[in-house]
Amino acid sequence: MKNRFLAVMGALALVAGVSVVALLGAGQAKAGAAIRTPWGEPDLQGIWYAYENAPLERPAQYAGREFLTDAEMKAKYGKRWIERVAEGFNDPSTRQGRDRREKAGTDEDVAGAYNALWTPGRDHIKPTRRTSLIVDPPDGRIPPMTPEGKKRADAFKDFQEALLQGTPMGKPGPLFSRRTEAPPNYNLGRLHRPPQGPEDRGRTERCLPLMMPSFGGRDYQRIVQSPGYVAIYYEASGHAGANRIIPVGEARQVPLPPHVRQWDGDARGRWDGSTLVVETTNFTDKTDYQGSHENLQLTERFTRVDADTIRYEVTVQDPTTWTRPWTVRADMGKQNEYENGLYEPSCHEGDYGLIGILSGARAADKAFKQGRGPDPWKVKVLYDEVPGAAGE
Amino acid sequence: MRNWLRNPSLVVLTAVLVAILFAPYVTRTSGQAPTTSAVPLTANGKPDFSGIWQANNTANWDILTHDSRPMVAQSGVYPNHPVPAAPVLTLGSVAWIPPGMGVVEGDDIPYQPWAAARKKENLENWLDRDPELKCYLPGVPRAMYLPFPFQIIQGPTKVMMIFEFADASRTIHLDKVAPYPNVAYMGSSVGRWEDNTLVVDTSNFTDHTWFDRSGNFHSDALKVVERFTPMNRDAILYEATIEDKQVFTRPWKMSMPLYRRLDKNARLMEFKCVEMTEENRLGYLRKEPLVKRWEGQTTIVEITRKELPPSVTYEERMHVSGNPPEK
Repeated sequence: MKNRFLAVMGALALVAGVSVVALLGAGQAKAGAAIRTPWGEPDLQGIWYAYENAPLERPAQYAGREFLTDAEMKAKYGKRWIERVAEGFNDPSTRQGRDRREKAGTDEDVAGAYNALWTPGRDHIKPTRRTSLIVDPPDGRIPPMTPEGKKRADAFKDFQEALLQGTPMGKPGPLFSRRTEAPPNYNLGRLHRPPQGPEDRGRTERCLPLMMPSFGGRDYQRIVQSPGYVAIYYEASGHAGANRIIPVGEARQVPLPPHVRQWDGDARGRWDGSTLVVETTNFTDKTDYQGSHENLQLTERFTRVDADTIRYEVTVQDPTTWTRPWTVRADMGKQNEYENGLYEPSCHEGDYGLIGILSGARAADKAFKQGRGPDPWKVKVLYDEVPGAAGE
Repeated sequence: MRNWLRNPSLVVLTAVLVAILFAPYVTRTSGQAPTTSAVPLTANGKPDFSGIWQANNTANWDILTHDSRPMVAQSGVYPNHPVPAAPVLTLGSVAWIPPGMGVVEGDDIPYQPWAAARKKENLENWLDRDPELKCYLPGVPRAMYLPFPFQIIQGPTKVMMIFEFADASRTIHLDKVAPYPNVAYMGSSVGRWEDNTLVVDTSNFTDHTWFDRSGNFHSDALKVVERFTPMNRDAILYEATIEDKQVFTRPWKMSMPLYRRLDKNARLMEFKCVEMTEENRLGYLRKEPLVKRWEGQTTIVEITRKELPPSVTYEERMHVSGNPPEK
């Protein structure tokens, strides 16, 4: 026992020595691949946030161009941002302090009062020149849907539109005859009707789970590793953040049978050089990512390109929804470990908003019934989309 | 009773049932290859707790020693012998909580007088008050002995614990981090090694979590000191010292083993209960209620369940399980 312990420690010392030599050899470059856990796996650990401020799909005005010009950068981000580029976003002092407030009492301060805590603040968003997060297809757009996918998406869209018929927001005519029925597939946004129950409201309002994949300026993540496992905590999603456990290597994997479906799917990892590759399947039919449901398949790649950056790429495919796979790239920056700026959202525990919304709807029903208020189906409502909801 | 014993087929059937009921426990211990006693170590020579763990006790029902009792009770014929009430009555024997020996040192919780009264009141209002029923984050230490597995991912500077229940998690910081600026259901945890024991100080709690389904509670002055000590490769001695000057007269301690899940296909699955509890929490706010009767915010539970008519034959009654022998 003692001998074996000594042998193990000796081997570890050797490994550590080799690592030091490897680091010295790398010199100033400090390539991400050289950053290893004590047990020798690529080290992705830390608090990371997706900071690339580019739209998912390339807007029409940038068609055929992957990058913004100087003039466009200035127009988009203003003088201040250009200065910050010059200052260098890798300066740690510009990354920390997510709680830093704008000057008290200013519009910026009041506007940021709630959301700034949960999303990367302006000071953290990298003024990228990229015109889209999608890198494949080369046009930076989600590929066309298959006839089946389009039919499914249209059915939901048509249902939403029909709900507005005869209301101040829709076409004239009688109210939709199926207006109190369930929509064609599980709703995660806002249904265009006075809420009949919680299912009519958005995923984020109900504090329902993370919608995979999660990238691009929405979230802070913490990655912790143990030999053969990578755990990711997504802070601003779901019930109280969301957790993924990724077993790396077949030996550690217990794949779910096809009939078991999960919100987060079933993730299986492997190392490809120093890149963590994660394949995720077994999503539920409640899943709704850009019109893809239970057949969604994700291939994510996490690569530590340097000490402060993880390159995150995800290939999204679903042969029942799109004519070809498509790929997104969104780099993540490292957050200050000491500041430890990750908080427990306890979205569900504090969700009095949903109770308020539903009891408001029932009060409106009652008022109408008693002749004290308007018909809830005839009231003008702004059905804006919910941030982070399906289809975002 | 005497009739029952006199009927040989009943006795045999009972024996078979008992065998079936306990079979999993027998095969689980005999079916696994014996594991070595060596505790896995991390690169820096500390115990590696990475793995899937679960308590195997009834502490989530009641951290003190308790007899079986109906989950929700109503008066029976005898005042001291309640029977299950409507919400669980149809569950038969499942409506009764499993008895169990307590996990608290001295089997006593030193409540201040007002708090002892509150605990009793909590138990009487279990359906309305237990945060677990609403799928709230379980807090610490309750998360550690919920009847669900949890997984430890032990990194060099962070120990992450991910719980199957509610997708809850906690991160124990072994490195120095800024003080947590707020309260949290799962608290804020910092850890250190004392020889082979991981000692974790957790504070910054809310006053919204409980210790069990029996109404044992705390305030936001709660501080928990946990000790994780390997017993062998597959068991951790878990000890938690509870201090809360607003509720208790002195600190008190609970302890229990946490067992490694040795099932070949052990893994965490999803128990994302926010959605599961939506009807329970918000059903009264539906336009068209799914439950038969809501009176305001009160659910009036009506149940439909059929017993066999007294006239059925003995064989028919025996085969109520739906597993009749092949003809």
